[in-house]
Amino acid sequence: MAYMNMSMGEAHRRITDYLNRFSDAVSSQDGASFKSLFALSSNSPFLLSLADAVALFHDANRLINQSDSYSQFSDILLPLLRSVQNYKQGDFVEAYLAFEKTANAFIQEFRNWESAWALEALYVIVHDIRVLAEKADKELASTGKSPEKLKGAGSFLMKVFGALAGKGSKRVGALYVTCQLFKIYFKLGTVHLCRSVIRSIETARIFDFEEFPKRDKVTYMYYTGRLEVFNENFPSADYKLSYALKHCNPQREANIRLILKHLIPVKLSIGILPNHRLLEKYSLLEYSNIVLALRRGDLRLLRCALQDYEDRFLRSGVYLVLEKLELQVYQRLVKKIYIIQKQKDPSKAHQVKLEVIVKALKWLEIDMDVDEVECIMAILIYKNLMKGYFAHKSKVVVLSKTDPFPKLIGKPVNS
Amino acid sequence: MANEGTNTETLVPAQPHQFENRHFDPGQNQPPSYAPTTPGSQAVSWAVQSSTANGGYSNPTYQYDQHPQPPGRSIQDGQNVSSVAGNSSNLGTANVPQDYNAYTSYPSSSNPYGYGSAGYTGYYNNYQQQPNQTYSQPVGAYQNTGAPYQPISSFQNTGSYAGSANYSSTFYNPAPADYQTTGVYQNSTGYANQAPPWNNGSYSSYASHPHTNYTPDSNSSGAATTSVQYQQQQQNPWADYYNQTEVSCAPGTENLSVTSSSTFGGPIPAATSGYATPNSQPQQSYPPYWRQDSSASAVPSFQPAAINSGDHDGYWNHGAQTSQIHQTNPIQPNYQSPLDLKSSYDNFQDQQKTVSSQGTNLYLPPPPPLPPPPQQVVSTPIQSAPSLDAKRVSKMQIPTNPRIASNLTYGQPKIEKDSSTTNTALKPAYLAVSLPKSTEKISSNDAANSILKPGMFPKSLRGYVERALTRCKDDKQMKACQAVMKEMITKATADGTLCTRNWDMEPLFPMPDSDVVNKDSVLSSTHKRSPRRSKSRWEPLPEEKPVDNPVSISNDTVKYSAWVPNVKDRKVVMENKESKEDDLRNTKFSPFIQRTSSKAPQRPFKKQRLTDASIAHENGDASSGSDKEQSLTAYYSAAMAFSDTPEEKKRRENRSKRFDLGQGHRTENNHFRRKNAGAGNLYSRRASALVLSKSFEDGVSKAVEDIDWDALTVKGACQEIEKRYLRLTSAPDPATVRPEEVLEKALLMVQNSQKNYLYKCDQLKSIRQDLTVQRIRNQLTVKVYETHARFAMEAGDLSEYNQCQSQLTALYADGIEGSYMEFAAYNLLCVIMHSNNNRDLLSSMTRLSDEAKKDEAVKHALAVRAAVTSGNYVAFFRLYKEAPNLNTCLMDLYVEKMRYKAVSCMCRSYRPTVPVSYISHVLGFSTSAVANGGSDEKDTEAFEECLEWLKAHGASIMTDNNKDILVDTKVSSSSLFMPEPEDAVAHGDANLAVNDFLAKAPL
Repeated sequence: MAYMNMSMGEAHRRITDYLNRFSDAVSSQDGASFKSLFALSSNSPFLLSLADAVALFHDANRLINQSDSYSQFSDILLPLLRSVQNYKQGDFVEAYLAFEKTANAFIQEFRNWESAWALEALYVIVHDIRVLAEKADKELASTGKSPEKLKGAGSFLMKVFGALAGKGSKRVGALYVTCQLFKIYFKLGTVHLCRSVIRSIETARIFDFEEFPKRDKVTYMYYTGRLEVFNENFPSADYKLSYALKHCNPQREANIRLILKHLIPVKLSIGILPNHRLLEKYSLLEYSNIVLALRRGDLRLLRCALQDYEDRFLRSGVYLVLEKLELQVYQRLVKKIYIIQKQKDPSKAHQVKLEVIVKALKWLEIDMDVDEVECIMAILIYKNLMKGYFAHKSKVVVLSKTDPFPKLIGKPVNS
Repeated sequence: MANEGTNTETLVPAQPHQFENRHFDPGQNQPPSYAPTTPGSQAVSWAVQSSTANGGYSNPTYQYDQHPQPPGRSIQDGQNVSSVAGNSSNLGTANVPQDYNAYTSYPSSSNPYGYGSAGYTGYYNNYQQQPNQTYSQPVGAYQNTGAPYQPISSFQNTGSYAGSANYSSTFYNPAPADYQTTGVYQNSTGYANQAPPWNNGSYSSYASHPHTNYTPDSNSSGAATTSVQYQQQQQNPWADYYNQTEVSCAPGTENLSVTSSSTFGGPIPAATSGYATPNSQPQQSYPPYWRQDSSASAVPSFQPAAINSGDHDGYWNHGAQTSQIHQTNPIQPNYQSPLDLKSSYDNFQDQQKTVSSQGTNLYLPPPPPLPPPPQQVVSTPIQSAPSLDAKRVSKMQIPTNPRIASNLTYGQPKIEKDSSTTNTALKPAYLAVSLPKSTEKISSNDAANSILKPGMFPKSLRGYVERALTRCKDDKQMKACQAVMKEMITKATADGTLCTRNWDMEPLFPMPDSDVVNKDSVLSSTHKRSPRRSKSRWEPLPEEKPVDNPVSISNDTVKYSAWVPNVKDRKVVMENKESKEDDLRNTKFSPFIQRTSSKAPQRPFKKQRLTDASIAHENGDASSGSDKEQSLTAYYSAAMAFSDTPEEKKRRENRSKRFDLGQGHRTENNHFRRKNAGAGNLYSRRASALVLSKSFEDGVSKAVEDIDWDALTVKGACQEIEKRYLRLTSAPDPATVRPEEVLEKALLMVQNSQKNYLYKCDQLKSIRQDLTVQRIRNQLTVKVYETHARFAMEAGDLSEYNQCQSQLTALYADGIEGSYMEFAAYNLLCVIMHSNNNRDLLSSMTRLSDEAKKDEAVKHALAVRAAVTSGNYVAFFRLYKEAPNLNTCLMDLYVEKMRYKAVSCMCRSYRPTVPVSYISHVLGFSTSAVANGGSDEKDTEAFEECLEWLKAHGASIMTDNNKDILVDTKVSSSSLFMPEPEDAVAHGDANLAVNDFLAKAPL
């Protein structure tokens, strides 16, 4: 117990020091030092020692109420000290509850401050309340109680969003809150709740998207791009994720990786294959076999890759996207057959017999009968992955003589 | 009560909302008042909305009518009050008479005025013939207004309506009058709080004399309370509303105005002679009316009511202006003399407190038992009242406005008559009716009335008067209001502020309490002002009603008889309410009221709001919720007081159910709903729970959490195995709920039943319902839902299946065992094929455990998913044939889509032809046949079926040299279409076809 070594006077000094910093930051509107006072999850030694001091010095209330400069913020400070203490002790549910009180009181004050000087502190609070809520939920779930703190944090963030969505200088903070909300909603699986926030960001005149901080824009584009992946709206998803990739800090490889994780499937489904080095660099090797399968027309490889990483793909929400690459693999396979035939006999190359395809699939250890392959061929033609027609009588795919296998080049497969 | 707090907040700050509210409120208030008070007015409104008679009227007109009517009443009341102030009962009755007169005059006079006499008569007819219908219609009208608040008011209204409807039309009239008056009161002073007690008191009295008129009053008062609170806030809006309505409804309004004029004229012919000499003679003429009406039948009363409405309208448009102006003035005096009000209020409160239930008795009894006292009261109030409010009123009215004076005089005489006769109450009302006419006549005839000339009064003033009158629940209040307003108007005229004053902003004066007046007269002269305050309703006079009832009954029997039904209804609702609450409220409210009243004169608006807020806070229910609660409490108490015949109970139950429905939709206050919902034992149980919570928290809203709902869970006692499903509209009755053992048998019975799906579905739904209300969640529950889900799948009833599936998901998540795998597969299939939502699909797939993925059914479902996403129709139909469990049934629902997709795909990619036999084979037409090579017969059958299908979908069929039947793909690719399903029904679910249901459903 660290604080056992601390004297009462030391504890008193630390708490007063904290309170002084607080009131100084407010009076001088020093956002930078102000925000550090709330950063619970940063585990700063300053706050950790404060936690010990609060634990030792039981009557922090008295200190706060001693002076007007503190007591006017007692709604913020009291629960904050409690939260710091609980956080240090690992009691995240209590820490969250106290921090939520602080956050609510802070928003009250924040509304009254004309300028946006405390925006940084608000960011910290918004971030930490989410982190605390996640930890609290973990704790609740482990004790068999229903984890609902993150949900509560979500509704608090909506409140914050309301406080920022005005005309003043504070509005640039709205996107940060939005992004934190996205994180919560994605985590909770209540993605549909994003829609209302997105609508207000994209339609409200008070927001000029270019005006927001870059990091928020990147985050926002990342999440909205992911939503577009869910909807299989590939051109839009491609645009948003590419925007995120382009503007993302190149030093933040983890973020780039996250973006690529969703961007690669999107690109694949519009016919653009990534360089293997890219996959290696960002350790996205789960895609390498899929890319290979697409290159080779190897259906078995694709299916294996999908099966191997099924969980991962399901969780990131790209499984269904990748699964649809099957048709492109079939296309590649037929194209290969066509090329081989062309080398043998250019005059008859455009007639691909069904039994040849069935045989090729058998080599790939994929057991499909004629009917099924016929069906696949029909679908390929139907979706415009092959130009030509199928002659049922002779069981032959008759390919167009010009560009029988049109490339997607950025366009999604017709559905 | 949180509800209270919120309500107040919203009401106070949000004027826009208020506007709507007001809209509603007026409607609500009026409606209730309508129903009870002025059948005629109701008729008008109804006619507009539903009925035939008023075809010409538009909805706006409807509203308009309502408004005008109330004003008319209030005007009348005011006049009456001024003269009769003391005679609460008389006044109330007086209003009624006015209405009646108007009505009568209406038909006769209406023709001359251009009103469709037929329409009026139609009203009449409608009203009389179909009281119930009219009743329902008003409700509908309210809904049309659509204000959020309506629910509450409507609730009450319905109650009153129902009561009135059931009763004769005459009853209706009185009730409305009461409503309006009470409303006025509350508006002005926050009497609303007192209202509940009032109700109780009145109820009690009624209870004893179910047939007495007073019960209606109490009912109405309950309604009034709710409406009142709203009105306070909404006063201004009201004015606006009025104006707007007039404008928008220009045609209607014109008509109304005409009617009003006509009504005025009408009255003249009918009662004119008497009116000509307003003071004394009119009374004479009226009494006969009254008697006839009261004794004779509901019809006469109805007519009068209709007349009233007409009169009111006319009042508003023409005479209304004059009269209104006058009335407004009186109103102002009330406000200005807050002190007086306070004193009066205090008195009221005191009386109420002391007497609680007896308080009502006090005022009620006096009139009936002691005809003379009422008279005295009347005279005294008027005369003595002058000391406080009455002084001004009397002075102002009598001297300044000849009309008023005439009215006053009329009212007095009428009152006297009323007092003299048992039916007196009714009579006075009639007299009051005549009064408006007289006033009009006077205005037109008498030069002295020049001030009052309609044209002279600003619209806003009219609106004000309307508002004021709308508040009046009964004739008494109307009279009182009229008197007050006359005073105000004369004063304003004298000041020269008549036209300059912002009437829209003018606070409504506190409701004069006629009842109070009576009490005062009986008890002491100090209460002279009481006439204005009809506080009795508001006050807690509650549980000892029985005692009161006899008295009131004896006097008012005739009138009250009509009201009785209302009482019953309310009783049912209110069974559980306790007198304590009422008392508390009263006490609490009293300070508020005083404050408000005192402040009111200076800052009318703010004061009103304050009062509202205070009311809201203290009542908890105040604005919306509080109203309900109050009414409920009133109901409960009344119910407690009453122990009626089983028939009555039934009726009450029905009505209360109705209320529950209405409220349920409109209000989100579960708390209240639940209370309301309960029937019989539940009522009492839940009500007591509510009461408990209330007493604990006293205005703060934790009540719901504090209630131990577990303790309130139903334990079924029904031993019937078979039970039809009926969607609950109220709290479940344990007598009709089956306990778990019986439900198990019922499930077995259904499973082994040979009857059709409709029967099984019905039975299973009722089993589910019983499980739900008893909060049984165990393996039996799972079994029931699984069984139902399977039946639903077999029958293709997807919506029912979805209900079961979602319940099963929750049940499985709770760890209750069942056929988890099987239903996981179903769920997957359902998501794949019917929700088409990738995120749902992904989350469903993510949730599958490895173990589940090895399950045959789940594997199949996953394969189907793959086939569907890739559009692999061959795979799909193979899986279709191999489907385990009931997967086939779910796939069935997708087959048509899949086939169509497949054929359009084939038509696009195949050239030049596709044999139909191939299609039949690939698309699963040859079901079992293909699988095992099949017999020729089956093949041909499948072939024919496929051919039919292709033709139905627009494929182009041709025959080649080998006589093979082929599909011409090139032609077909552009001609394919998805035909409308043959069995499509308008409501989208063939299973719900009425004929089918009637034909197959057992029972």
